Amino acid sequence: MHVEFLGIPRERAGVSEVEIDAETLGQALTTLAARFPALRELITAGGLHGSVAANLNGDQFVSDPNTSLAAGDRLLLLSADAGG
Amino acid sequence: MPPGYHGCYLRIDVSTGRAERVPLADAVLRQYIGGSGLGTRLLLDEGGATADPLSPDAPLVFAFSPLVGTPLTTSAKFAVVSRSPLTERINDALAGSGFALAGKRCGCDAIVIVGRASRLSVLVIDDGEVRLESAEDLRGEACPVTEEKVRSRLGADFRIASIGPAGERGVRYATISHDRRHAGRGGSGAVLGSKNVKAVAVRGTQRCDWADPGALVELSRDVSQRSFGPATAKYRELGTATNLLTLNRFGALPTRNFQRGTFEQAPNLSPAELSARYPRARASCVACTIGCEHLYELNDAGVRVEYESLFALGSLCGVADGGAVLRALQRCDELGIDTISTGGTIAFAMECVERGLLDEPWLAFGSGDAVLHAIDLIGRREGIGRMLAEGSRRAALAIGHDSLAFAPQVKGLEIPGYEPRALQTMALGFAVGARGADHNRSGAYEVDFSDKVDRRHATIDSVRHAIDTEDRSALMDSLILCKFLRGVFTDFHAEAADMLTKVTGWDVTPDELRTTARRIVGAKREFNLMAGWTPKEDTLPERFLTAPLPGDPAAALTRDRLEELVAEYYRQRGWTNS
Repeated sequence: MHVEFLGIPRERAGVSEVEIDAETLGQALTTLAARFPALRELITAGGLHGSVAANLNGDQFVSDPNTSLAAGDRLLLLSADAGG
Repeated sequence: MPPGYHGCYLRIDVSTGRAERVPLADAVLRQYIGGSGLGTRLLLDEGGATADPLSPDAPLVFAFSPLVGTPLTTSAKFAVVSRSPLTERINDALAGSGFALAGKRCGCDAIVIVGRASRLSVLVIDDGEVRLESAEDLRGEACPVTEEKVRSRLGADFRIASIGPAGERGVRYATISHDRRHAGRGGSGAVLGSKNVKAVAVRGTQRCDWADPGALVELSRDVSQRSFGPATAKYRELGTATNLLTLNRFGALPTRNFQRGTFEQAPNLSPAELSARYPRARASCVACTIGCEHLYELNDAGVRVEYESLFALGSLCGVADGGAVLRALQRCDELGIDTISTGGTIAFAMECVERGLLDEPWLAFGSGDAVLHAIDLIGRREGIGRMLAEGSRRAALAIGHDSLAFAPQVKGLEIPGYEPRALQTMALGFAVGARGADHNRSGAYEVDFSDKVDRRHATIDSVRHAIDTEDRSALMDSLILCKFLRGVFTDFHAEAADMLTKVTGWDVTPDELRTTARRIVGAKREFNLMAGWTPKEDTLPERFLTAPLPGDPAAALTRDRLEELVAEYYRQRGWTNS
């Protein structure tokens, strides 16, 4: 599946997007934390730090680590406070 | 008088130069705290709801707060409250930094200005002593120049709030500027200009006690420590300009006067692209540990870039040239005009040209030169600038041909950078906002960027979230704390109650603060009712209610749905729609 980074997650990852294998949100976050150590500040055992949000395909915001992901999904990680 | 307060406000009639200290009852202070809340209360008491906002009778309030002067991070802020010449409704605009500290040290919790000086003047408040000095030599000067000249004339320890040429000329969205920051929205600069006051200069020595100084310092240290963490990293490292790419990715970036929600050239305006061409530095308000200001070097000066300015003078006008946007922003700062209303009004005029409703062919989407020229015309009130200086609603009424349907405003205040069809909790916040469409009085976009709602399909359940964010904003704007701090609190009301207790000695509870927030929101509504508000104002322009967002059919908002949401909002507030 495809992961896009925006805001601080992009700063920490150092890239704007990446391909990973994951079947759930929790797996995806674990994989990302392993690949990008600087993201660990934002990814906790229970999910995401409150300053970060996760979204599927630009449509649905998700937070439950058990959320199922499909191969064609695009997971967006962004700074949660998207306003000015 | 409780600790944290002086227990009075300074009322100055600039027609006569007469000043008096008016006592403030403890109950009023506890019920309205300070900032927006206290300012609204004073404005009501001073008869501000019925006076023409540009008449001598109209009061203009600078309100401080009990937290100003404490070691609490981000608390050096002040509110400017008046009836808006743009909307004719309540307007509370906030700004930060040393003016708040120096103003409060003049020995007052607020300054109320009425009247009209006989000549352009600097209002000098020196430790509570008031005098007017001629400012004729400052006529036409830009805001930063005015501050510099006034300080060099009066002394380096004065702090200055000033208007630019736009405020002198009554541009209805002129700002009051202080130290590169602006009390930006709603035209408070035009109100000060109508009083023939070019600048307010304050200096003082009178400090307030705190009820529990030791505990307050300890608490302040803890909050500051948390403010260095991930919750504020976005503001510190990237600035709000980074929102541009996020909003664009979600199809919620207003583009070409809200005709689209994405801007193909948005990456040109990202912080990464801008800082590659224009060296970037950081700055902060006095007494702030976040340091959110990102200044891009242009013509040997730092231009402060925020998302709202970037979208308004960039994507909203179809301009992809970062240099042109920076120049436009710099010009707005010099003239002293609100960037959101400036961009919104120019983008509206561009669409009118596109539709053949205005014969100004140079004013085309995508032209940075056109935006710059339009800004100068607005600042000088020349040519089409005379009409655009009135804001998009008045311009639409002058142009006719149903152009009001796509004038990007609510109650006359231009809409900030959140496409309402793609962010529908925010759409409700815009519609019911007391000062018009505004992201600082309703932070409902936060709800749309969460799993609490479907951002493109607001339901009745969205309403309580919109109310919560509006109430929290009212509280933060009255305490006053910067909203960029909001992410560091795990229980905002409990922590805010603790702060207030340690400063004032009152036994404040979280529930009391929830009630206070509702009271402040209610006071703004009371003001608007007295000022002539009608239910039909709590809506959005026709454009947003008749067609889905082009390119995103799911982003559709009907009039019926919005009316249903607004009705539920009134019901939950306990208000009738009359």
